[in-house]
Amino acid sequence: MLGEYLPILVFLAVGFGLAVVLLGLGLLAGPRRPDAEKDSPFECGFPAFEDSRIKFDVRYYLVAILFIIFDLEIAFLFPWAIVLDTIGVFGIVAMGIFLTILIVGFIYEWKKGALEWE
Amino acid sequence: MMEILANFFGAFLPEWMVTLLIILIKVVAIVLPLILLVAYATYAERKIIGFMQVRVGPNRVGFKGLLQPFADMFKLIFKEIVIPARSNRFLFLIAPLLAMGPAFAAWAVIPFSDGMVLADVNAGLLFLLALTSLGVYGVIIAGWASNSKYAQLSALRIGAQMVSYEIAMGFALVGVLMASGSLNLGDIVRAQSGSIFSWFVWPLFGLFLVYFISGVAETNRAPFDVAEGESEIVAGFHVEYSGMAFSIFFLAEYANMWLIAALTSLMFLGGWLSPFQGLTFLTDMPVLGRVFGDGIHWLLLKASFFMLLFFWFRATFPRYRYDQIMRLGWKILIPITLVWIFAEGLAIALGWKPWL
Amino acid sequence: MTFEQIIFYLFSAVLVAAAVGMVTVRSPVYAALCLILSFFTSAALWLLLEAEFLGLVLVLVYVGAVMVLFLFVIMMLDLNTDPLKEGLVKHAPVGFVVAAVIAVEMILVLQSAPFQIATPLNPAPANNTEALGAILYTDYVYPFEIAAVILVVAIIAAITLTLRRRPDSRKQDISQQVQVKRADRVRLVKMKAETKEQA
Repeated sequence: MLGEYLPILVFLAVGFGLAVVLLGLGLLAGPRRPDAEKDSPFECGFPAFEDSRIKFDVRYYLVAILFIIFDLEIAFLFPWAIVLDTIGVFGIVAMGIFLTILIVGFIYEWKKGALEWE
Repeated sequence: MMEILANFFGAFLPEWMVTLLIILIKVVAIVLPLILLVAYATYAERKIIGFMQVRVGPNRVGFKGLLQPFADMFKLIFKEIVIPARSNRFLFLIAPLLAMGPAFAAWAVIPFSDGMVLADVNAGLLFLLALTSLGVYGVIIAGWASNSKYAQLSALRIGAQMVSYEIAMGFALVGVLMASGSLNLGDIVRAQSGSIFSWFVWPLFGLFLVYFISGVAETNRAPFDVAEGESEIVAGFHVEYSGMAFSIFFLAEYANMWLIAALTSLMFLGGWLSPFQGLTFLTDMPVLGRVFGDGIHWLLLKASFFMLLFFWFRATFPRYRYDQIMRLGWKILIPITLVWIFAEGLAIALGWKPWL
Repeated sequence: MTFEQIIFYLFSAVLVAAAVGMVTVRSPVYAALCLILSFFTSAALWLLLEAEFLGLVLVLVYVGAVMVLFLFVIMMLDLNTDPLKEGLVKHAPVGFVVAAVIAVEMILVLQSAPFQIATPLNPAPANNTEALGAILYTDYVYPFEIAAVILVVAIIAAITLTLRRRPDSRKQDISQQVQVKRADRVRLVKMKAETKEQA
């Protein structure tokens, strides 16, 4: 099994390496003439009137939290889906209960308006 | 051929170096065609959308503009990489790398034809899901490091959008796994062999649609491209990027599009399997049999079809509003996949397997 | 040294460096990135132990989901770290006590019976996703269902803690818009054509 993951490691390294080479090529071959206007953050032609670090709606964080929970659910579903033949009806029913409990949570989200984007 | 190379290098190099070298050669053999595909995807996109809008598209460089991608590349290399004054220089330059790494490494587990795969891992699909979830970092870090309002807004939008569609995508994958019984992509394709009617697209049609739509959203392509919405936040997370730094994001985006296209073909349309499978009078023909038989050309053809869909969507659909995107992801796609998984589980519990 | 060992030491070194960096760097964003790197390298180490499923799930859940949330919060909340550094001396004793308690607890747990496996599972099952699935949904079905309940509690907690109605926002109900009928919006009125004199 380990032998199969070595190519992935090499591939990841090649991917990063390629990006480094391209970036280095761009930095070397391109001109470098900075000036204050060019280096200022883009803002539709006006000078920026406030710092770009603004506070954001908490809703974005709620989406991220809900995502973690659903991601875990997927992690539970993956091994289940490939052993359906061996675990039989018992295993399928077990997952049915698991999903039903979580769908109750999903309905709660829905009814509470956590999925609304105002 | 690899044995000849192994013997050749084995004469003067230690064994582990030979192994690494062979892998490196294989990786390059995947990466170079991939870059070429990406380059010509940009050309094809401009040509196709041009035709759809009754224009000619690029036609100056080379015959019918065929050298346009190279012209673009050389132009971008000689452009200045502007690093904004108040940005975080280190993270600003690292972000493109983080976008590129996962977009390319995912190709390691893609089977191009029967047995033609670099890393034949057991948990191939899980690996792909894990890698695609890393793609969001390049964007978030790029958006934050730029220290620009537009970039930051875009990073936040894209972050929430990508994670939302990843759920629908993951659930759709579960449906495929239930039908194939394996996480290995090669096995998933082999489970679809038989005839065109054994492809998973028929019993799992809903999941197929959900998967491809989520794929479009995941790559931030139109109509889900609020992250770059040029009319509101100019170019989104890469507004401050120029020259090669920008083109790396571009490269990663197109590599991801090809990835989604290839995965959709592998999981739902039988990958390298020929649609004429089972029709022996066609596949047994002396020369044409190779064309009608299974092979990498079918995967390329199917993936190209999905690329065409990507471009077609861009030319056809107006951009979704952000609240509509979130609604589609959470309130439509996720319920569809959940219902589908339940139905599939019920069918299996009753011993009825439509895909066999 | 075999090739596997070289890889192991390489990743371990990165892991230790990233973990040290996570606690010592000043900027919270860099700390989060160090944490991501350490999760990623631990996943690689788990893969070296042939725990394929767990390694990939570590990347999927921690790197792909949990740390995205962390980065979101740290990057977008505009944290000011200066006030946090005040009173280090005052809080240090409490911190040491907590650290000591955690250390003792971990030692006790690791010495307990379930961790004293006489024969490690060697070789690990070739397809350990399947091996895991075969027992998780049958032998360990009760803890598995409990996990679902815990996840639902997490959903409810997250929503009650963070969901705030914003009175000033203007919302659009799409399903209501889609279901709208002509009669609700348009009223046809019959009237006589106007003549010049009336105007």
